[in-house]
Amino acid sequence: MSASPLPTSTDYRTQEPAVADRFKRLYQRPVILSVDNLRKDFGSNGSTRTVFDNLSFNIHRREFITVIGPSGCGKSTFIRIAAGLDDASGGQILLDGQPVSGPGPDRGMVFQGYTLFPWLTVKRNVMFGLEMRGKDKSTAENEAGLWLDMVGLSKFENSYPHELSGGMKQRVAIARALANEPRVLIMDEPFGALDAQTRAQMQSYLLQIWRKVDVTILFITHDLDEACYLSDRILVLGTNPGRVVEFIENPVPRPRSPAQFASPEFQALKQRLEELIHPPVEIEEQQLPMVRLTEAGDDVE
Amino acid sequence: MVSPSPLPKRDSDFLGLKKELPPRRNWLLGAASFLLPLVLWSIVSYVPWLWHPLVHITDAGEVEMFSEGMDLPRADFDRANAQAVKEGLAPGNGVRVNPVYLPAPHEVARAFYTAFTTPPRLPGEPWLHQSLWHSVKVIASGFLLSSLIGVPLGILCGSFRFFSRLHEPFIEFFRYLPAPAFGALCVAMLGIHDAPKVAIIFIGTFFQQVLVIANTVRKVDPGLIEAAQTLGASRRRLVTRVIIPSSIPEIFTDMRILLGWAWTYLIVAEIIGATSGLTWFINQQARYRNFDNVYAAICLIGFIGLGTDILLAKLGTLIFPWRRRNRGPSFLGSMITRLIKPLKKSISNAGSSAPSATPDTTSPPTPTAADTPPSA
Repeated sequence: MSASPLPTSTDYRTQEPAVADRFKRLYQRPVILSVDNLRKDFGSNGSTRTVFDNLSFNIHRREFITVIGPSGCGKSTFIRIAAGLDDASGGQILLDGQPVSGPGPDRGMVFQGYTLFPWLTVKRNVMFGLEMRGKDKSTAENEAGLWLDMVGLSKFENSYPHELSGGMKQRVAIARALANEPRVLIMDEPFGALDAQTRAQMQSYLLQIWRKVDVTILFITHDLDEACYLSDRILVLGTNPGRVVEFIENPVPRPRSPAQFASPEFQALKQRLEELIHPPVEIEEQQLPMVRLTEAGDDVE
Repeated sequence: MVSPSPLPKRDSDFLGLKKELPPRRNWLLGAASFLLPLVLWSIVSYVPWLWHPLVHITDAGEVEMFSEGMDLPRADFDRANAQAVKEGLAPGNGVRVNPVYLPAPHEVARAFYTAFTTPPRLPGEPWLHQSLWHSVKVIASGFLLSSLIGVPLGILCGSFRFFSRLHEPFIEFFRYLPAPAFGALCVAMLGIHDAPKVAIIFIGTFFQQVLVIANTVRKVDPGLIEAAQTLGASRRRLVTRVIIPSSIPEIFTDMRILLGWAWTYLIVAEIIGATSGLTWFINQQARYRNFDNVYAAICLIGFIGLGTDILLAKLGTLIFPWRRRNRGPSFLGSMITRLIKPLKKSISNAGSSAPSATPDTTSPPTPTAADTPPSA
């Protein structure tokens, strides 16, 4: 990538010097997650369908990666394999050089459906992973308190999940995942179920948290704005079979703010993503039978 | 084109499809569900020209076949009286009554009291409260014994496909075998006293219990299990810390329903071997034609069953605080709440040293709609 000054007509590949410099430093960080020729087939012998094949890329420490792709590209499947909830059919994922097999506390996961334990209070939810790792109760309690402070929910530590709003539940889920101090935080469309306003708020919370914590984030979304706003790099997957279409360096400078949504880099990046996700195939507008149920002269279009 | 019309009055909508009713109306309808059959019963009992197929002789007159206190069909009474008048004899008098097997509500109500206070006919026979206690003991033993094995086995079958395949097909087969069919076998193996009765309750409960609980456990949200796995939970911990706590409220509900089934097996169980308990009382009273007592004893089973169920339901909301949502109060539930409230208070006071186990229910921190964090 060249570090040329910003041209007038913005290309998503041109980066400000500061951005280019940042990527240079980023690539010098150790590789934390290495995906090596990953393949996943569904179905048993006879009729198998390959969800994706030849997935290969590296993610560096403290990177914020967003994964986008059209439905059916296997992004959820990929992330489940990374979390250890599914097995790959071929290839492997290396975390710190070690092959991943089965779920573990080194890869925290935040699900779209919150998945908080309804029978535990907010604090006990955050303590869960700590207790699973054998910390004694008072240590776990202290640490959970710190994490709840970080997500701004210490007031609600004794509430039950059903007493919280969706955004608050997801913040608890993030605190619960981070309390384990995972190497990678995997987030599967975590804000997909939230309304637009809460989602925007959660995005800014997440950036704040990420800044403060040594964690690499792998974030699945289908919201292009979200992908552009949060990420260092954007992994674009394609379908039939799933594959890496492009791994885009996000040219939008950090620190990020919602004001950047209108910036030329942001727009150029988003337009590129649009092209990749929704290829310019004209959707034929099918003519519906012309039956008119309103008076003439009452046209809406 | 729509002219402004007054908004439909929502409150008057008694028949809203799948709509919650206001609590007061819920309560009234619950009471009405009991009143309705009671009113029917009262009409048949107290309106003399409805049914009342018999005549109770109050004055035999000079009719030879009449004797004071006897009941006979109306047609026979009329024919005998007509015959007597023809022969110049004084006709008898009587009042129309229902058969002895349909006592009036007030008689049954009275029997509720007198059945408990009347000593048994023969010395050595049990009083009603002793019979009742005996029945409760049989039910409790059978149900506990079944639960002791059935609940853990159900949880195992629901959690692990291995145990499910290993046990469930046979249990599925066995549950179709009617428990009473094992009566003779149980007596042969276990004698004539309480052991075979407990065994019948066990057989009637156990096989259903394993399957019902396994199904409940299978319904645990897989997302919760996956979340726990990514948090580092071992397999054993997944069962003890996720599957069990997440399904325990439903298991509790299952147990309430199963306990109801156990009661229905009671009568069958009690006539096996030496008849005992409430069944003995009912049979005995029927033999003496004290049908008011029979009805009282049958109703007693219903009241005990319903009462236990309501108590257990309330207990459920007490021990599973995360289940406390704003649902419409259940039938009679509000009354029980009133009774239980002092108890609840004392429990939460006693448990205040462990706030995480029993959170202060009086002031739960309610999140505001505007989701604003205190810091950040």
